[in-house]
Amino acid sequence: MSMEKILDKARLNDWIAALAKGGDWEVHAPALEDGVWTYKPVGDAVRMDHPNTKQPPKGFSFPQREVFFSFEQIKGEAPRLTQVMPDAKRRAVFGVRPCDGRGSVRMDRVFADNVNDPYYQARRKNVAYVGLACNTPPAATCFCKSVGGSPVSTDGLDVLLTDLGDRYHVTAVTETGKAMMAVAGSPLADAAAADRKRVKQVHHEAEAQPQRAVNNPDAVPAKLKASFNSPLWEELARACIGCGICTFLCPTCHCFDLNDEMTGTVPIKGNRVRTWDNCQFPDFTMHSSGHNPRENTAARLRQRVCHKFQYFHENFGMLQCTGCGRCVSECPVGIDIVAVVNKVAEHVA
Amino acid sequence: MSHNPPDNIYLPKLARIAHIKEEVAGERSIKTFRLEFVNGDGFDHQCGQCAMLSIFGRGESMISIASSPLIKDYKQFSIMRVGRVTSAFHDLSVGDTVGIRGPYGNSFPVDDWRGKNLIFIGGGCGLAPIWPVITTAVAQRANFKNITVFYGGRSPRDIMYRAELEKLRGSADVHLSVDKSEEGWNEFCGFVPSNVMDKAPPPDNAIAITCGPPIMIKFVIQNLQNLGFKDEQIYTTIENKMKCGIGKCGRCNVGKDYVCVKGPVYSWAQLKNLPQEY
Repeated sequence: MSMEKILDKARLNDWIAALAKGGDWEVHAPALEDGVWTYKPVGDAVRMDHPNTKQPPKGFSFPQREVFFSFEQIKGEAPRLTQVMPDAKRRAVFGVRPCDGRGSVRMDRVFADNVNDPYYQARRKNVAYVGLACNTPPAATCFCKSVGGSPVSTDGLDVLLTDLGDRYHVTAVTETGKAMMAVAGSPLADAAAADRKRVKQVHHEAEAQPQRAVNNPDAVPAKLKASFNSPLWEELARACIGCGICTFLCPTCHCFDLNDEMTGTVPIKGNRVRTWDNCQFPDFTMHSSGHNPRENTAARLRQRVCHKFQYFHENFGMLQCTGCGRCVSECPVGIDIVAVVNKVAEHVA
Repeated sequence: MSHNPPDNIYLPKLARIAHIKEEVAGERSIKTFRLEFVNGDGFDHQCGQCAMLSIFGRGESMISIASSPLIKDYKQFSIMRVGRVTSAFHDLSVGDTVGIRGPYGNSFPVDDWRGKNLIFIGGGCGLAPIWPVITTAVAQRANFKNITVFYGGRSPRDIMYRAELEKLRGSADVHLSVDKSEEGWNEFCGFVPSNVMDKAPPPDNAIAITCGPPIMIKFVIQNLQNLGFKDEQIYTTIENKMKCGIGKCGRCNVGKDYVCVKGPVYSWAQLKNLPQEY
């Protein structure tokens, strides 16, 4: 059932052009802007030699800021509410690393659980992820293997590309991926036996690359549960300045805020807006009485770590961390989630 | 006309304020609002559930529904003036239109309590979340044995639902208390947990339902345990800051549970196993 093809690297742009023309896809790929890898609508030359993007691709289905509806109300009268739904544009995102594909699986679980989130679903159904396997040595902060992933995982992706030097091996993961590969004008060619053999070898070598690790990950949820009252949290969080970069750059962090933004006062006019929010901020949980159930950085670090490595596991049977390492590499004070988990697990009976 | 498809959980329905009653005056005043759905486009609820109320331009706030599910014509909310949205509510008038979405959360298992003695213990504005259970039980009086209501406020002026509580005396044993006595107060003087110990309701075939300030709940539960109540016989409701109501915005969790979905109603047997993050 699997569909395997070969794409000459020189013809990557031809495939993207075919997707835009024949498949009505708006194609995005990583671009290096001011030294930062960022997903951008493709320009002339697509290069995919990025280690990983600064931000994960979660914004394609869960943007940093979105309007839910607008309201207009004359005082004393009924308001008029106008729903603002996302556009129906299909977006193909190229160069998604396997850790971020696995991040998308976790976002999907959250936004479909209990009650469907209509805004997330409206975007998500029109997004396709064309992944890129990691077959160069991992970054010092990568740890996907110890949290159930792999540098060649296809979870959450529609297509997986593997760099074979002068060409990409292209595998369909979903029906959407198959349709993208078969799009009119596609330059994809059948994979020869040698290519199929080569990709297996490349994947095998990629998976054998040493990475740092969360120790004994299967035992971690129970260890964290037992750690709730441990004084270690206070020690581990002492350096935290509560900036929240760890969660803003995380491929699985989904917390958000809802606020009304006014655009006029007579009549009352404005928008109800969803924005990303952050469990590292005191206001996030503070009651209007002033009582705060997570009143210090220790409680908030514990929430971030336990959400990813305990609560999410208890609710969905999988860890919420995919080992991308962004929170480790970008933390201004060097708080390292792998070191935190390992230390807490080691010190709890 | 509002565009209000049933599948968009975030789009509020509209409700008109039909009646406002000031329960408690002062800095943290409490008003009870009676809301009627516009054009009958509403929802049913169960005892203990909450609703997200909107004032457009100010935002949303999660408030427990204080009226019995048996009442279909309106829903009632007792709101303390404390934050941005609740303060804006206190400035509204009869006839104003607000947004409402829900219902959210689990509910008190009232049907499982048929044939039992019910003991309600409320303090401050914590009477509102258990009021739908009290009024539902009284409306179905024959289904239950003794109904006892303990309720206390700081002073006689802080007693909410005063007239309703007096009316309740016909169907239930009502024990009121104030922290500080004043001229003319001839009921119990002291904290609510002390009043419970003073009257010492027996635990046999009984369920105790308590809601109030956290410190009150803590000592009420201790005292109930001293009276012989088992953890499975004690119910309470908890609250946390909420934005979505559907387990996604991430802030109301207590351990793995989002209170907006798995709560707000817990037996003490359940709650004692969760981390104390509420």
